[in-house]
Amino acid sequence: MIKPEYCSDIAKTGGAMIKNVILRTENLSKSYQMGEIEVKALIDTSFEIYEGEFVVILGPSGSGKSTLLNIIGGMDTPTDGRVFMRENEITAFNEKQLTDYRRKKIGFVFQFYNIMASLTAEENVELATEISEDPLDIGQVMIDVGLGERRDHFPSQLSGGEQQRVSIARAVAKNPEILLCDEPTGALDFTTGVTILSLLKKVNREMGKTVVVITHNISIGEMADRVIKMHSGEIFEILENKNPIEPERIQW
Amino acid sequence: MKKINTMLFRMITTSKSQYIAVLVIIITGLMVFTAMNIASINLTTTLETYYTQSRFADLYAKTVKVPQQEVLNLSKIAEINTVEGRIVFDVPYTTDNKDERVNIRIVTVPLEDTGINNLTVVKGTYIGQSARDILVLQQFAEARGIKVGDEMDIQINGVGYLLNVAGIVASPEYIYAIENGQSLIPDPKAFGVVYIPETLGQQAFGYQNSYNEIMITYNKGINEEKLIDTLKEELAPFGLQRTIKKENQLSNNLISDKVASLKRTSNSLPIVFLIVAAIMLAMMIGRMVKRDRIKIGVLQAMGYSKGQVLLHYAGYALSAGLIGGFMGATLGMLLAGIMTSYYLVFFNIPLFKIDFYYVYVFTAMLISAGFCALAGLVGARGVLKISPAESMQSEAPRKGKRILLERLPFFWKKLSFSWKLVIKNIFRNKKRAVFVLFGVIFTYAMLLFTMAMPAVINELMVKSFTEFQTMDYNISFRVPVNDRVLRDFRTLVNVDHIEGKIEYPFELQNGSKTKAVPVVGLNKDTSYYNFKDGNGNKVAIPDEGMLLTQNLANILNAHKGDALKIKTYLPGRSDVYVTVVSVVKQSLGINAYMNIDYMDQLLLEKNAITGVYLDSKDQDIGARLAKVTNISTIQSPGDMKKLFDQYIGLTLYSLVIMIFFAGLMGFVIVYNATMISVSEREMEFSSLRVLGFSKGEIYSIVLKENNVITVTGILLGIPLGIWMTQSSSAFFTTELYSLTITPTLTIGIAAAAATIAFVVLAQAATFIKISRLDFLQALKNRVS
Repeated sequence: MIKPEYCSDIAKTGGAMIKNVILRTENLSKSYQMGEIEVKALIDTSFEIYEGEFVVILGPSGSGKSTLLNIIGGMDTPTDGRVFMRENEITAFNEKQLTDYRRKKIGFVFQFYNIMASLTAEENVELATEISEDPLDIGQVMIDVGLGERRDHFPSQLSGGEQQRVSIARAVAKNPEILLCDEPTGALDFTTGVTILSLLKKVNREMGKTVVVITHNISIGEMADRVIKMHSGEIFEILENKNPIEPERIQW
Repeated sequence: MKKINTMLFRMITTSKSQYIAVLVIIITGLMVFTAMNIASINLTTTLETYYTQSRFADLYAKTVKVPQQEVLNLSKIAEINTVEGRIVFDVPYTTDNKDERVNIRIVTVPLEDTGINNLTVVKGTYIGQSARDILVLQQFAEARGIKVGDEMDIQINGVGYLLNVAGIVASPEYIYAIENGQSLIPDPKAFGVVYIPETLGQQAFGYQNSYNEIMITYNKGINEEKLIDTLKEELAPFGLQRTIKKENQLSNNLISDKVASLKRTSNSLPIVFLIVAAIMLAMMIGRMVKRDRIKIGVLQAMGYSKGQVLLHYAGYALSAGLIGGFMGATLGMLLAGIMTSYYLVFFNIPLFKIDFYYVYVFTAMLISAGFCALAGLVGARGVLKISPAESMQSEAPRKGKRILLERLPFFWKKLSFSWKLVIKNIFRNKKRAVFVLFGVIFTYAMLLFTMAMPAVINELMVKSFTEFQTMDYNISFRVPVNDRVLRDFRTLVNVDHIEGKIEYPFELQNGSKTKAVPVVGLNKDTSYYNFKDGNGNKVAIPDEGMLLTQNLANILNAHKGDALKIKTYLPGRSDVYVTVVSVVKQSLGINAYMNIDYMDQLLLEKNAITGVYLDSKDQDIGARLAKVTNISTIQSPGDMKKLFDQYIGLTLYSLVIMIFFAGLMGFVIVYNATMISVSEREMEFSSLRVLGFSKGEIYSIVLKENNVITVTGILLGIPLGIWMTQSSSAFFTTELYSLTITPTLTIGIAAAAATIAFVVLAQAATFIKISRLDFLQALKNRVS
């Protein structure tokens, strides 16, 4: 296994601050066979994510961003290339190691929340913390996401925004290193969407979690530290955002 | 509780009706398993204890007359443990009803009942010093209302004895109180046993210091055959007639058969129930896994392993197995107590020994959990195929393809839209359709089989007594007489036709196989029997040689042309070999048949007969022959009806249970499969609702599907039901009956009606569920 240099990168902006690479991909490719046609979802993708960053992966539908998220989240495997989480090559992991990786290092937030209908808000969070090694205090997390009063409600009794808060609480309470969010505002109206983005920013800033958000919404890029732009399975631009704006100021 | 288990618990509560339906099947199966197994063990151990306590004889020897001293000498034989002599004779018992013929077996007992076949005094006391004290067998006493202190007028050798009932007793020899091998079921009103003091017996029968029956107990592990050979030598001078081993002792033989059949059912029936439950669980879980694709993906994304998710779903089935197993076993234990006491009362076993074998509770739970866990894993195996990334994407629509019927445009175009939907659905969900189909087939076949039983038994009786044997009356004598007696009959009764017969027990041997059966001697040109071979060809009574009934041929492994040894105990007669001329069919009873003259010459005395067959228009045969003391039994067509009614009465209970089981199974299968179908197709039905279909119209689609499957199931169930009934003939065939069961059209229709009724019931239950479903909600959300 080639040991990657994970903590010596100097920010390309020329700043003096040393940023630790938490996640890094090397020439990642993914193709599917659909009938007789080979669909290339990802082509030779390489990038790094630094510890404590808020990164937005931006691209239209079919640009390969979800495939990328699934691979770095250990939910899918690439056809080619490698992914490193700090010093560990997760693309070389077996099934058990991948499960362990998802359990300890990653927190997922989905577009359609995907919380368990048969469990209350708090139980949904507990479902995740029960298998993690170092979970956060559930009560505090519920308060932090603004569900202190609604913790005993079932999903059917919650609004879309509240359900997404449960989803975020579930991801955060495990105390993962990275939060991977797949179109977290995709199913929400503007106002609710903004509150969710604020929450994610809070998680990033106050809890110190690395947050990766994938979206097709260009405006969300404005709040990110960096924006990775994708099209047709390729990264065509990585932008450093020197002055990320507060989510409340985003308009779309 | 871990939250994943909370989810499991809530998964169960949301599908509670289906879960309960499966539980009912599991509970029923394991209740039967536990109850019957414990009952059969209880029965076996109680029987063993009773036999040990009452010192049940290992061997009986029937002789003409053997001196007391000789019986004492037998105890010197090394293999023999204890030996006891007694006098046994059957005598008629006169009642107020002239047409009634009641036989009682008089058995002598010593003043101290410490020897063999000890009696248990149920009421009153054992016989005292009074020579007129007697004991009456409980079944007979109860049937005839005889009480302690009553007086009974018993005729022995023409002399009337007014005897005092000192006690009511139970005997290990008459647990199943049956008169002889030809009686099908006990008739406690017509046959009883009366125990009299030995001194009275010796005086009344003229057996001073002698006996006609010897009971023996021996040490375990001895060579029984060698002992029998020794006895034959020792008792030959005293007219040894036959020896009966414990295993062939009538009551013990019949009761052992019953216990064995109970044991067989206890293990086979529950397996059917568990298989049905397992299939249902596997289907239900398979459907859940399919429905919960995203949930499974999310759980994996959160860090749950595939194994954990697999066990989560398998846990649904396992919980059903454990709960069902525990409840079934517990209820089974309670039922076992009731069943055992029922059997103990039914068989008149004066011991009350019910033990609960907890090992069966564990076994039941283990079997049930094993079956269900396996079903759960099979049903949930789809989890292994779900990858978290793929689960997040919407599933590709199922590949649509034309079904075979669509290629028949003439037929297809005539169908309405909803019928097309119905047929397409059946073919697109083949597994489910096949399961429901099997459910209906099974239900129909079970119902057909169960409902056919009474008719079959009726036909068996009718065939036996009108086609195979055609005499109006079958009269048996107590002792053989010269056939001159036929003339006397003509004077006593208005005889249309009369023939003498011989019916005498002999032991038939073919190689190592032996069987004691009544050998029947008939007139060469008898008009009372219609013998047919296996191919349905008529068979006549041969001049020499004998006919064997099929069941006897099977027991002895004998075929046409084989020479069988007939062992005789008659003085001055030696064993003879007789050739099997043909093997004949006979549904009721087990016999060998010979020409009466040939039989007399070979085995008995010239012109001897042991009974007569006769046709007469007289209605009061019983009264007309009342004075003939040598008659032991008169069997008439009315007896046949009585016998049938009694038999049906006994089996009705189990038939009702069988019908209930079959119906329950059909109900649960149809109900659960319909519920699975409905929840799988919520999206489809929701779309139809949006298109403007009413709930009723949607329900009618489900209904039509079930109806198509029900009709097909019934049609396919017919051959299966017939096959099941025919092949189960072997299961119900005993040494006494051999059943060939072919259900009639009426029964076929009745079974179809019952099947439809159960399906309709199940559908009515699903309708309630369907009308409560919020179809439109299904179109909205993506909450797992």
